[in-house]
Amino acid sequence: MSNQLDTLIHMANQIAANNSHYGSEAEATARVHSHLTKFWARSMKQQIIDYLQNDGSELSPLARDAISQLQIRPLQERG
Amino acid sequence: MLQYFDPNKDYGTPASLSEKLVTLEIDGVEVTVPEGTSVMRAAALADINIPKLCASDNLEAFGSCRLCAVQIENRRGLPASCTTPAEAGMKVWTQNEKLAKLRRNIMELYISDHPLDCLTCPANGNCELQDMAGAVGLREVRYGFDGENHLDAEKDHSNPYFSFDPSKCIVCSRCVRACEEVQGTFALTIDGRGFDSKVSPGQNQDFMDSECVSCGACVQACPTSTLMEKSVIDMGQPEHSVVTTCAYCGVGCAFKAEMKGDQVVRMVPYKGGDANHGHSCVKGRFAFGYATHKDRLQTPMIRDAITDPWREVSWEEAIAFAARRLTEVQGKYGRESIGGITSSRCTNEETYLVQKLVRAAFGNNNTDTCARVCHSPTGYGLKTTLGESAGTQTFDSVMQSDVIVVIGANPTDAHPVFGSLMRKRLRQGAELIVIDPRRIDLLKTPHLKDAQHLPLRPGTNVAIINALAHVIVTEGLEDKDFIANRCDDKAYQAWRTFIQEERHAPENVEAITGVPAEKVRRAARTYAQAPNGAIYYGLGVTEHSQGSSMVMGIANLAMATGNIGREGVGVNPLRGQNNVQGSCDMGSFPHELPGYQHVADDAARARFEDVWGVKLDDEPGLRIPNMFDSAIAGTFKALYVQGEDIAQSDPNTQHVEAALKSLECLIVQDIFLNETAKFAHVLLPGSTFLEKNGTFTNAERRINRVRKVMPPVAGKEDWEVTQDLANALGYPMNYGHPSEIMDEIARLTPTFTGVSYDRLDQLGSIQWPCNEQYPEGMPTMHVEDFPIGRGQFAITEYVATEERTNSRFPLLLTTGRILSQYNVGAQTRRTDNQVWHDEDVLEVHPSDAELRGIQDGDWLGVSSRSGQTVLRARISDRMLPGVVYTTFHHPGSGANVITTDSSDWATNCPEYKVTAVQVEKVSQPSEWQRQFQTFEKLQHQLLRGEKAESGAS
Repeated sequence: MSNQLDTLIHMANQIAANNSHYGSEAEATARVHSHLTKFWARSMKQQIIDYLQNDGSELSPLARDAISQLQIRPLQERG
Repeated sequence: MLQYFDPNKDYGTPASLSEKLVTLEIDGVEVTVPEGTSVMRAAALADINIPKLCASDNLEAFGSCRLCAVQIENRRGLPASCTTPAEAGMKVWTQNEKLAKLRRNIMELYISDHPLDCLTCPANGNCELQDMAGAVGLREVRYGFDGENHLDAEKDHSNPYFSFDPSKCIVCSRCVRACEEVQGTFALTIDGRGFDSKVSPGQNQDFMDSECVSCGACVQACPTSTLMEKSVIDMGQPEHSVVTTCAYCGVGCAFKAEMKGDQVVRMVPYKGGDANHGHSCVKGRFAFGYATHKDRLQTPMIRDAITDPWREVSWEEAIAFAARRLTEVQGKYGRESIGGITSSRCTNEETYLVQKLVRAAFGNNNTDTCARVCHSPTGYGLKTTLGESAGTQTFDSVMQSDVIVVIGANPTDAHPVFGSLMRKRLRQGAELIVIDPRRIDLLKTPHLKDAQHLPLRPGTNVAIINALAHVIVTEGLEDKDFIANRCDDKAYQAWRTFIQEERHAPENVEAITGVPAEKVRRAARTYAQAPNGAIYYGLGVTEHSQGSSMVMGIANLAMATGNIGREGVGVNPLRGQNNVQGSCDMGSFPHELPGYQHVADDAARARFEDVWGVKLDDEPGLRIPNMFDSAIAGTFKALYVQGEDIAQSDPNTQHVEAALKSLECLIVQDIFLNETAKFAHVLLPGSTFLEKNGTFTNAERRINRVRKVMPPVAGKEDWEVTQDLANALGYPMNYGHPSEIMDEIARLTPTFTGVSYDRLDQLGSIQWPCNEQYPEGMPTMHVEDFPIGRGQFAITEYVATEERTNSRFPLLLTTGRILSQYNVGAQTRRTDNQVWHDEDVLEVHPSDAELRGIQDGDWLGVSSRSGQTVLRARISDRMLPGVVYTTFHHPGSGANVITTDSSDWATNCPEYKVTAVQVEKVSQPSEWQRQFQTFEKLQHQLLRGEKAESGAS
């Protein structure tokens, strides 16, 4: 596993740990998902999605749930 | 009523804030002024200038020189106008024969003990004593000059910036009072009595040996040349001046750059400055010499590899080279393989242009700024809870505070002018609560009434803020009306349930924070019960793995106690650098367009696309640490860095260096060959704040004008260079002046729609938001509502940092700043400020030192999980046992070789404040330091165009 992926896994778990105390599981998942959507770059999202699809074992359950719902908008052609 | 205020005029005594007016007659002129105004000030407002020597309108009236005597109808004697309040119906005469005789007699006494060297005196032409001698018509000195005098008094040249010549002193006490009332240091006193009275730094010490902090307030206050800038002694009096804004810290002091042609003679704090009101610190006042330092980069340079000598080229060739390399990299590795970094040391217009270059010309959102490593958690935390990424108050608001809470900040060192204002309020009786591992100097404020210090363990901020909130909620100290009227009930109820849990009680948190529970309870009660409680915080809050949680915890506390939305309260981030607020406002972050508009917001993006004429990416870009990781991974290949030194300021230096070495094209635009530039392929000479036009936005959201006083040494202002690069990349930019850039910012940023250079010139400065609703800006935010409607309480669970001590790394290192140096030191190290701090040292508690046999001055190896460096020891009990402290102002110190990649969960702001380390005595520099010295020598050789010596690498 690359250092870069290690870092991303660590970041995702850290985000999950800091949002895990919000009410229901669904609310916590929504918060983590929203955070990743708003702040992570396309390439970071892609790497963490790929990791979840191929392994995902080092992600916390909350991080996994949030990443499983993550979507990426493709890079558009420039007008 | 007379309201006209000319900041260039001295009205003699401070303004009265009374709303009640009184009308009096002075020399037959009817004058209406606020009650409490002195006769001297009332006269000055009517343009009747009473002679004075000991009076100045930034000091309380003193009444010692008696030169300002006046005659008042039905009053005995000739009272001093400075100490006499104006009263309704009063009739005052400022000039008559009796007064003239008295004033001449006074001047005769002064001049009988004063050197008659006016023609060769450095104050010639700008001396109040000389002016008053003229004003009173002094023609003879009947006492002669042979009597006992002070003409042989010894001069003190110890301070690098000003000299003290007591032979010229008239003992008016203005310097002593300025040191007390304005600066709050109390370093000066009048020693002796009667004829023997003399101004004395400390206890008859030299200035340099005294507690003087070289703020310059005494020099400015001196009516003669007793205290005089050495630059004026060398160059003579200035012939014109330009008002501009200091390029050091986030206070944003206004200065008059006093000039001779295009040479700065001195920087004088401007009384009309809304942030500083005529006060300054040693950096802004004196440390401007770096602008003309021999190390300034004066010519663009290029090279193919970082082991090649630099080649001096024309601007055209350098820009074409840079554009070609960027295009090649994108062609080979893709559109997202390049990015840019803006700087909080640059202007709003410059940072706006760099992020525009990245988004519009590079075609991605890989733009970030140095706020990433300082106040990015402020942006996240305050936007989440209060709805706006900014502090809520003016600096002046602190004068209405009853309780001042300072968390993780050291204002007297890092924001000295505001620190002085804070001290003034503390002397007036406000209570102080400091939450900080170190015993900061604010706790030693002279005449401080009451102070509470909560010396918590580094990394436990959130635990203590939760404990404070727990006390407030469980003891019924909340402001229920504020919460009901202003805050979101669902979020509040969720937070209330969370914070009431017994695990947050101070007694249960004590084991985590190390702060006794009773201290926490007392502090919570003090803050909550204060009529006005204000919180000020700094990087000791943000630079943690839970920096964003702590910012939200602070906002929770302010909302819970109703300390938001009026003067004297609020949540106030003290921004480190001059334009941290502005660089964030200007869309430097990869997820936000200017004005904090998210890149995924279709409507916002459409507005920018319309004006910029290009399609914009709707996904966030890479943050600085992500850029480094991607560079090492081989997917990020080129970077444009304007005015920022990531190789010195960012954590885990060896990781940063590896990232920079991985780049195929690094373009650095800076005023010096900084540490980052040593890894660069293109060097574009930058311009200092003295060489360009623009604006800075300070920590109170105040937009201040930066005005050019000298031409750029390399011929271009920074915004012109970015514009050239955009044009070379095929994206047209055609601004003729930074004001046009601001006009575009105003068109696209809802909080800036009313901002323009004309408006700034009219108002002096503007605190955003400035728009149709708030045409003159908004001094206090959230008075009626929050930008997000209702305040959002946030759940702030304490999550312990992973950076923990163990047997291998038993101590915690925390880092910070000192007064005389600024950030990476690139500017201040090239000034005489070096005399105060020529190396970074490691402060070690006496008990930790004893355990390791460490003496003051020993060389210490400091090791962490990231690396090792060597620093000199300074024994200090300012920290708790188990905590060591250093600064990062000198690159060779390698302070960031030991800081780690640990960062804030929400923003990746590095956890500079918590690094587990071991400290031991050593006898030689670390391996990294030896490599640093070799690399530095090589790069300076290459800068001179020389090839590397054999064996160098």
